[in-house]
Amino acid sequence: MALLEVEDLRVAFGASTAVDGVSFSVPEGKVVGLVGESGCGKSVTSLAIMGLLPKGRGRKARQPVLAAASEPVGSGLKATAAAPQSIAASGGRSRGGADVNGRAVFDGTDLLSLAPAAMRRRRGKDLAMVFQDPLSSLNPVVPIGRQITEVLERHRGLKGDKASKEAANLLDRVGIPDPTRRLKEYPHQLSGGMRQRVLIAIAVACAPRLLIADEPTTALDVTIQAQILELLKDLVETEGTALLMITHDLGVVAGICDEVNVLYSGRVVESAPVRELFARPTHPYTIGLLGSIPRLDLPIHEPLTPIRGSIADVIRWHDGCAFAPRCDRVAAPCVEGEPALVGAVHAHRCVMAEEVA
Amino acid sequence: MSTEQTEPHVPAQRTEEPDLSAAATASTRLLEVEDLKVHFPIRRGIVVERTVGHVQAVDGVGLGIDSGGTYGLVGESGCGKTTFGRAVLRLEEPTAGRVRLGGEEVTAMKGERLRRFRSRMQMVFQDPLGSLNPRHNVDMLLSEPLKVHGVGSKAERRKLAVETLDAVGLPKSVLERFPHEFSGGQRQRLGIARALMLRPDLIVCDEPVSALDVSIQAQVMNLLDELQDEFGLTYLVIAHDLAVVRHLSDRVGVMYLGKLVEEADSETIYERPRHPYTKALLSAVPQPDPEVEANRERIILKGDLPSPANPPSGCRFRTRCPWAEDICAEVEPEWREAAGGHKVACHFDL
Repeated sequence: MALLEVEDLRVAFGASTAVDGVSFSVPEGKVVGLVGESGCGKSVTSLAIMGLLPKGRGRKARQPVLAAASEPVGSGLKATAAAPQSIAASGGRSRGGADVNGRAVFDGTDLLSLAPAAMRRRRGKDLAMVFQDPLSSLNPVVPIGRQITEVLERHRGLKGDKASKEAANLLDRVGIPDPTRRLKEYPHQLSGGMRQRVLIAIAVACAPRLLIADEPTTALDVTIQAQILELLKDLVETEGTALLMITHDLGVVAGICDEVNVLYSGRVVESAPVRELFARPTHPYTIGLLGSIPRLDLPIHEPLTPIRGSIADVIRWHDGCAFAPRCDRVAAPCVEGEPALVGAVHAHRCVMAEEVA
Repeated sequence: MSTEQTEPHVPAQRTEEPDLSAAATASTRLLEVEDLKVHFPIRRGIVVERTVGHVQAVDGVGLGIDSGGTYGLVGESGCGKTTFGRAVLRLEEPTAGRVRLGGEEVTAMKGERLRRFRSRMQMVFQDPLGSLNPRHNVDMLLSEPLKVHGVGSKAERRKLAVETLDAVGLPKSVLERFPHEFSGGQRQRLGIARALMLRPDLIVCDEPVSALDVSIQAQVMNLLDELQDEFGLTYLVIAHDLAVVRHLSDRVGVMYLGKLVEEADSETIYERPRHPYTKALLSAVPQPDPEVEANRERIILKGDLPSPANPPSGCRFRTRCPWAEDICAEVEPEWREAAGGHKVACHFDL
């Protein structure tokens, strides 16, 4: 059994469904990718696993768990905690909270059913997260050394000099030159690439078994991106960390992932081992994404074949394939009920795939 | 900003070459930039501000774009590519150098003449939401450039707006809508439509697709291609994504720390990069193909971009260059032609 097994994860914000029954697993020492464009539910999936979504009206009485000390919280998610009891009682609207259902089994424990205190003990220690924007994920008024030792104190009981020494070790390990001096610096004094390294240092401070990286290189330049991807690969290879990589960049996926799940409108539309996916993309959305990327290794005036329309053109999965309004292969069966995810190793959610193949 | 010259004027290294071909290319060369510099003063002091140094954002960049062509300028954040694009349009005051558009010297213009001339050169910005006034509807947004330049009556302006919307693939019905009602891709189409309203000769596109989703990026790139044919546009495309630049451009220049380090036809530069920085950039771009990714050799550059206020001596790239030798710290490499039309600033033939 894999280290993390996500089963039928559903996240809804009031009436709108962000994640609609997503299942995948992340084995130890492997990199699993969640790929999709903005609004496909990839980030919400990761936040749900980490228990970082504000609580909605559904599910058991779980408190909002945003105040956890050990890790930075993506901006914009704070302060949305609704008053759970009153909403649950009225059965009415939820005010910004998320209803999370399904299971996320980490090493035998369902993370989604853990009490907030138990989750806090695990978060930062067994599972950690690296966010997209390092500047807004680090506390601007606290030196970075303090932000690293905070985790070490909380989860590993290290204090004072010992903690600082370990913090310097961590910075050294993620490739920051002159770590002892850097410990006293504030986030604004570091470059984007260095900030991202600090964030990774915080995430790996307690040698987590699962690392979730949400667009860790999107804000960085390509040469810095290459450095950070090497660093993450190295972590997976030497420590056997399981890495859940969330990205929109199929190039990054090709370079680092072992398994890929392509998300569209809250559901997995295709999942396969990385080589298989790129060699035989089956779902029209995956094919469309690949056709949209200008490539350096193809003839120069190869025209792009973009996907038409935008992500706003969807129908509900309940009524048919959500991608149907943008799909070139659309036919009558596409809008007659829910398409199922078929196949085992290479699975896809397209009723027309067989006809075309 | 300061226009004082703080250093002796370095004669442009590439002035000899255009003179010979000037007659032949005069009809086709739309934009000619010579030795353009933009230095921002660093000021210190509370009551009396003293200039304690200069950030050399752009430090002697020259290039030319043929009419109907596309020049792609690539580089990482902080290399000065955006400042260069803005200085070409006089949105940033150049410290030195010359910019000529269609034979007229933009850098020598002032006041009303410059204001009028601006109708021939427009810009498309990176952030489509930030560059559209949220309180203006599409009709107002698109008519404004025409009003500023006193073109047409209200009805004519509206007609032109509808035509331009059609060209960028938006229906007439959006005229009454506001920027927040559009998706990112549609907003970028509006940004492009606004730049097109005055039917300019040159459009500077600063990161035109980087804020957009992959599938939308492709739509906007195809649109830029179509519009170029339809309106006979000349583009200066500024981007950090090498694949995007390769796709859009005929000629590509690579910038590092305020200077061009390499320039060639887009096919050549990607097939046979000659500057170590270009090689490193190309090797760092992740390719959407696991086979390619598994087998490629990556040149991982160490460290970050040095400060443009205090660039390294000699070759500016030497602090991160895997091939650097002593000479690189002492002598600044000259901007030389390594092969037909392929220019590079490096001491070595790599």
